Amino acid sequence: MIRILTLAWLVWLEMLRRKDIYVMFILLAAFLATLMALNLFGLSQVVSYLKEIGLLLAWVCSWILAVSLSTRQLPQEERQGTIFPLLAKPVNRAEILIGKWLGAWVVVSAATLLFYALLAVVVVLRGGVFGGVVLAQAGLLHLVLLGIIIALGIAFSTRLNADAASALTYVVTLAAWLVLPRVPDLVFMARGAMQTGLMVIYYALPHLELFDLRSRLVYGWPPVSGIMVLWILVYGLLMTAVLLTLGWLAYRNKRFARGAML
Amino acid sequence: MSNAIDIQNLVVEFPGARGSAVRALQGLSLSVAPGQVYGFLGPNGAGKTTTMHVLLGFIEATAGAARLFDEDVRQTIARRRIGYLPEQPDTYRFLTGRELLLTAGRLFGLSRAARNAQADELLALVGLETAANRRLATYSRGMLQRIGLAQALVNDPDLVILDEPASGLDPLGRLRIREIIAVLRKRGKTVFFSSHELSEVERVCDCVGILANGRLVAEGRVAELVKAGESLEQYFIKAVS
Repeated sequence: MIRILTLAWLVWLEMLRRKDIYVMFILLAAFLATLMALNLFGLSQVVSYLKEIGLLLAWVCSWILAVSLSTRQLPQEERQGTIFPLLAKPVNRAEILIGKWLGAWVVVSAATLLFYALLAVVVVLRGGVFGGVVLAQAGLLHLVLLGIIIALGIAFSTRLNADAASALTYVVTLAAWLVLPRVPDLVFMARGAMQTGLMVIYYALPHLELFDLRSRLVYGWPPVSGIMVLWILVYGLLMTAVLLTLGWLAYRNKRFARGAML
Repeated sequence: MSNAIDIQNLVVEFPGARGSAVRALQGLSLSVAPGQVYGFLGPNGAGKTTTMHVLLGFIEATAGAARLFDEDVRQTIARRRIGYLPEQPDTYRFLTGRELLLTAGRLFGLSRAARNAQADELLALVGLETAANRRLATYSRGMLQRIGLAQALVNDPDLVILDEPASGLDPLGRLRIREIIAVLRKRGKTVFFSSHELSEVERVCDCVGILANGRLVAEGRVAELVKAGESLEQYFIKAVS
């Protein structure tokens, strides 16, 4: 466990010291400025509109951070050659993957919680309010969702360079987000192999829409039942574990050559 | 007593163009006894780094076996007793010298007290006490090589594998590395290192092995291999050509 925590701590420290944190601050500043300047079509008093835009921005910012941070961890170790002294220590490759996942997840989660806190402050300043339980549920499920995205990015980056892995992670998460909920309609229309293929895609890709409680926050709907939240958490953790296992299968026998992932 | 390194009929193939295979090692066998300083020589592309990478578990051999202190190199437990310095002094440049050693100590599972004691001792050994709290990004090439060597020794290893430890260093830097190897020898450590600096090898090694085209073409004590009036360099050129 200490090795996993040490690797996670290195991810955190690197982000702080390599000035990566300023990227997050720029995103935050843009986020804040956008929220404060919202006065489109004279709707500045409509708090639900503010919440909707604010939450969308929080989701997009955390998504970008999650993908960019997760997909560069392993390729960077290989490109810089730091993987060699690391692997010469009694650290196995599963520990490297989990340590990188944990480090990236902690960094992205901290940024996301900051986004949420900032949004809550802006909403209160505009005279609105968030339901406490729904906000907690939405935040929790959002963090679990980020864990899935980070695991996906790390799994892709075991065999691809950072650019290719991040492009693929963006495409897959966007497809899972926008297309997957519409697949059942297509399944009814398709026949034969096409129908089977669509079913496989439907069950294999992560259902990110399950983690989205933004509508409940925006319109002040009641919280989701505790059992339902628990099931979604279990699904999220399982999906993260599956993706990390797939990443490990691709990584465990990988041959390392200096500069191979330039 | 088991050998520090035991390699038997090691074959490593890399995929080549159009499905062909390139053989980097062709049935290499060698043994290094505990406490020996072994110089691993060979021209560029002979397979020295590939051999080290197999020993460290970075790549798996196509055939043959490699063991460290009687443990299969694929077991992480085998790596508890070794220290490794790569050819390029690659490290986390956002850390300070001391933080790098403490981090390495944590990865070896050392206690906090042991980590701090090791860091102090190793910083003194490699002469970097005054630069201990500076970021590695500000270190010169020679300093990076020395801190890399210090992190390779953080677990007080029984076997130290050094890939071209003196490459790119000035005469003073090479002298420092030679002194450190002498200290390791005094402490009874096994040192397995590759080098192109044959004069360095002549001075510090108990035994040398010469590799050419993935095969060991000569092995033994320098005094036994080199005839009177001949230099190791002349012998090396004869052996590999």
